[in-house]
Amino acid sequence: MSNLSLQNQTLLSISDLRFSYGFRESENLVIKSLSLTVGAGEIVSILGASGCGKSTLLNLVAGLLSPKSGAIEFKARTTISDNKPGKNPIGYIFQDDALFPWRSVRSNLMLVADLAKEVSVGSAQEKTRRYLKAFHLDEGILSKYPSQLSGGMRQRVSIIQTLMFDPDLLLLDEPFSSLDFFTKLSLEHELYQLIKDQNKAAILITHDIDEAIAVSDRVLIMAKGGDISQEFKIDFGQEARSPEDVRGTAQFAEYYHAVWSHLRTVIQEREV
Amino acid sequence: MKTLNSSNRLTTKLGDLVLYLLPLVALLLVWYFLTEDKPQAQFIFSSPSQVLVAFMRLLNDGELLTNSGVTIFEALVGFLMGTICGVIIGLLLWCSETIAKIAKPYITALGTIPIFALAPIIIVWFGIGIWSKIMLAFISTIAVAIVQSYQGAMSVEQRFLRLMQVVGASRQQVFRMVVIPSSLIWVINAAKLNIGLALLGAFIGEFISSEQGLGYMIVRASGLYDMATVIVGIVMLVFIALLLTSLVELIEKRILKWKYVRS
Repeated sequence: MSNLSLQNQTLLSISDLRFSYGFRESENLVIKSLSLTVGAGEIVSILGASGCGKSTLLNLVAGLLSPKSGAIEFKARTTISDNKPGKNPIGYIFQDDALFPWRSVRSNLMLVADLAKEVSVGSAQEKTRRYLKAFHLDEGILSKYPSQLSGGMRQRVSIIQTLMFDPDLLLLDEPFSSLDFFTKLSLEHELYQLIKDQNKAAILITHDIDEAIAVSDRVLIMAKGGDISQEFKIDFGQEARSPEDVRGTAQFAEYYHAVWSHLRTVIQEREV
Repeated sequence: MKTLNSSNRLTTKLGDLVLYLLPLVALLLVWYFLTEDKPQAQFIFSSPSQVLVAFMRLLNDGELLTNSGVTIFEALVGFLMGTICGVIIGLLLWCSETIAKIAKPYITALGTIPIFALAPIIIVWFGIGIWSKIMLAFISTIAVAIVQSYQGAMSVEQRFLRLMQVVGASRQQVFRMVVIPSSLIWVINAAKLNIGLALLGAFIGEFISSEQGLGYMIVRASGLYDMATVIVGIVMLVFIALLLTSLVELIEKRILKWKYVRS
């Protein structure tokens, strides 16, 4: 209930975003004009062909790239401008984990305490334990190195590493694409639950229609030039739902059909 | 089961040792049959028994240990100075792209100068004592250390830099927590390469002008056509190089512990 009311609060607001690589705007224009809002507790998925500007959008929101024009505002302040460790409201989870191979899992998870002075080691350790439990990981892995973990475990640890910085908005760039089907399902579920429970928000970039519908509140189709050509509101009529449960429903199949039909049109237009 | 595994491992290790020693034993046998009881051949190639006699003589009168000690000291001090300074410079070049760009041709030039060409100048500047050899070892090693550590610093994976940027880490934190640890593999490789180069630098210094060290011992013996002593000197140099390389490998296993853990 509270989640639903909070969901209306706008967490991220993007307006008239324009971006191109290089100096000549006309040649490498990746995003012409994009506006988007994301509310607290909301998961927004973006589908689209490769090179349409999905990852560029996430890099812009994360502050890794600077827009040519337009505004990216986060809770009424421009993102990243006063970015300090532990203060950044954004967490970025990549397709490949960013765990430092020379650090143990414990040390990787304690990165937040190493970077942000105000985060105590004790509170970080407590948080680590909580997240390990939420992601069904044994505390025994803390003394291991990332190279000793399986792909699924590494991605879980990588997600926890990001969550340790306590971000309000998660940027997920195909985080499950390199995982096997069953690991992907359980990780989707765990992350979904966490985002909803903690009233965080997420933008998920994916090529998987199935995944996008299962975890999202909205699915956006991005066409060439970063245009949002269609938006699908996903509502399974339940307050709390699991990505696994919704997959078998008739409604899921309807959403799938609608999203796929539109996506196919976008791809065909692109080919023409 | 455990005992069986450890005995299997022992057998494998023994097998490896036999394989390693096989070419050496073959070489010694060929050398022995070609030179034993042949004075003319012994004059040019010496013989295993003559080398053994020379080795025992040099060991007993302390000449071998004294000269080896001097060479080890010169090479080790030059190696440490060159590698440490080179690594610091190489890593710091990461901080400024402009300085790195300006420094690049100078570092390349330093790396291409044959140490033999520099040796006379260094001896004039630092005298025929131990310091000229240390300086030659230093110059031989510094360029490799700079290039390797700079390459290491520039090869940091983008995903790590991206993560640090997103979480708002300062440049100093990125340098300390990502650039340095990530470059350590390159630094260790530089150290491995530098062992041989430091020994070569010290040896060339001794070869040109000195009163002690293995280079001096070899030059003096070759002037007297004492091939057995020359070979003892060469074998000793090889032994020192292997010993120092093993030392670096031992350090590598401690510093890069994560690289050696079982998946």
